[in-house]
Amino acid sequence: MSDVPMPRPDEPLVRVRGLSTRLGGKVIFDALDLDIPRGSITALMGPSGTGKTTLLKHITGQMRPDAGEVWVDGRNVPELGRDALFALRECIGYLFQNSALLTDFDVFENVAFPLRQHARLPEELVRNIVLTKLQAVGLRGAARLLPSELSGGMARRVALARAIVFDPMLILYDEPFVGLDPIALNQVLKLIRTLNQTLGITSVLVAHELSAVRRVADRVHLLANGKIVAAGAPDELARGESDWTKQFFGGEADGPVPFHYPAGDYARELGFDGGAA
Amino acid sequence: MNGRFLRGGYLADALAQVGAAGLFFFSILGALPKSLRYVRETVRQVWFVGAMSLVIIMTCGLFVGMVLALQLYHTLSIFGGTEALGTVVALSLLRELGPVVTALLFAGRAGTSITAEIGLMRATDQLAAMEMMAVDPIAYVIAPRFLAGVIAMPLLACVFNALGIFGGHLVGVTWLGIDNGTFWGNMTANVDLWDDVVNGVWKSLAFGAVVTLIGVFQGYTTPPTSEGVAYATTRTVVFSSIVVLALDFVLTAFLM
Ligand SMILES: Nc1ncnc2c1ncn2[C@@H]1O[C@H](COP(=O)(O)OP(=O)(O)O)[C@@H](O)[C@H]1O
Ligand SMILES: [Mg+2]
Repeated sequence: MSDVPMPRPDEPLVRVRGLSTRLGGKVIFDALDLDIPRGSITALMGPSGTGKTTLLKHITGQMRPDAGEVWVDGRNVPELGRDALFALRECIGYLFQNSALLTDFDVFENVAFPLRQHARLPEELVRNIVLTKLQAVGLRGAARLLPSELSGGMARRVALARAIVFDPMLILYDEPFVGLDPIALNQVLKLIRTLNQTLGITSVLVAHELSAVRRVADRVHLLANGKIVAAGAPDELARGESDWTKQFFGGEADGPVPFHYPAGDYARELGFDGGAA
Repeated sequence: MNGRFLRGGYLADALAQVGAAGLFFFSILGALPKSLRYVRETVRQVWFVGAMSLVIIMTCGLFVGMVLALQLYHTLSIFGGTEALGTVVALSLLRELGPVVTALLFAGRAGTSITAEIGLMRATDQLAAMEMMAVDPIAYVIAPRFLAGVIAMPLLACVFNALGIFGGHLVGVTWLGIDNGTFWGNMTANVDLWDDVVNGVWKSLAFGAVVTLIGVFQGYTTPPTSEGVAYATTRTVVFSSIVVLALDFVLTAFLM
């Protein structure tokens, strides 16, 4: 990692330029630009299926775009080879939509997994680090439970403990609040904020819950039709005047995001001939 | 699938799958040096697939040996050569039935469970999570299971053969009354270590490699849905059976 030129501290940690991606014949991103400043919590919002997860996958190199640059900490991810990519990923935490805990291992071993893979540490140190991280998410007492014995919120917190075991510079949260009851949601919310404030971890948050986003995010980017259609502080955006923000934050069923999936003429499909009308 | 078959896309699909499985095989070989770190995982997998298949292998080996002795006794008695029973039972098992039947049983028992396990790891993002933790799933998950299959198959075939010969002895000597000394004496005189026993082991190694390769490949490339995992396990059994029997013919022709 030392052969990489030191990026300037005022430079954004993630800088996306001209990102274009097609998946299965559908345009997902069309020359998308995005900056994520160091130390911030940035929320990505947008209708389902607009490519929020895909964007996170581009940032972590799980998927390569058709064109464009994705700079993370001074490295252009699509150009990285496998080893450089793995080196970069050691500094990135990623919270999957469904936690993705390893079902073979208990909670403790799940959190210890990255440590055991990448560092030859004495068992006592591993134990200390893992217990510290579990304590941080409030699950030290659950260390010997299996993933199948955890509730959704607990699994999410274990995954979070695993994601921060190497003290990453960046954490990507993919829909961390989905399926959580209000208490669990607040616990995860509090953790996201604490990690950002105490460790200065830059955070990217994909979420639909506007009320939750308002309480943690410094900036919100609204993603639709392959572009950022609106960006700003959460409150600013919620008061926004554009059609996009009005529909999205007002929760209107119809608007720039159409209620109807593209379809042919309705009358014709029902068998009424277009000529008769 | 039928529609595709009629349109002729099925053959192209099958060929593409064979090509992809070949490339996957090379990526496993490429990951082997890295997976040396996971010796413990490999040992655990040998234990796992071995223990999983042991009971079915032993039971089937016993019955196959018993049936073989009955049938061959009948045939040999036509020529008045029943004292050769030990030899023909042992040769049939060591050269042919041991490796092949073990491979078919292994595909049904261990191959399917390897496919389902890896397929579910794919569907629940566990493989992607490893990638994100900078751990190569081919080295950590796939290669140890592949190695375990290659190691376990010859061992299981040996168990199958041993139980089969025991079953043949049970029927031939205990039941049909062939002299015990004749049974063993004939067998040990005519079974050659290199020509018969080792040839069988080569076959087993080859079957272990293809069956496990099919199992891990189907699991790794399955669509991440419950339907996808279900189809993938079925394909493991179907493809393994076809490939084992076809490969058996080729190997027999070359090893003879
Ligand atoms: N591997 C893939 N192949 C084809 N289409 C895909 C693939 N992955 C995602 N998509 C499509 O890309 C779009 C964006 O997906 P995703 O990034 O998961 O959306 P979301 O914003 O809900 O997270 C969806 O319409 C999805 O169907
Ligand atoms: Mg998503």
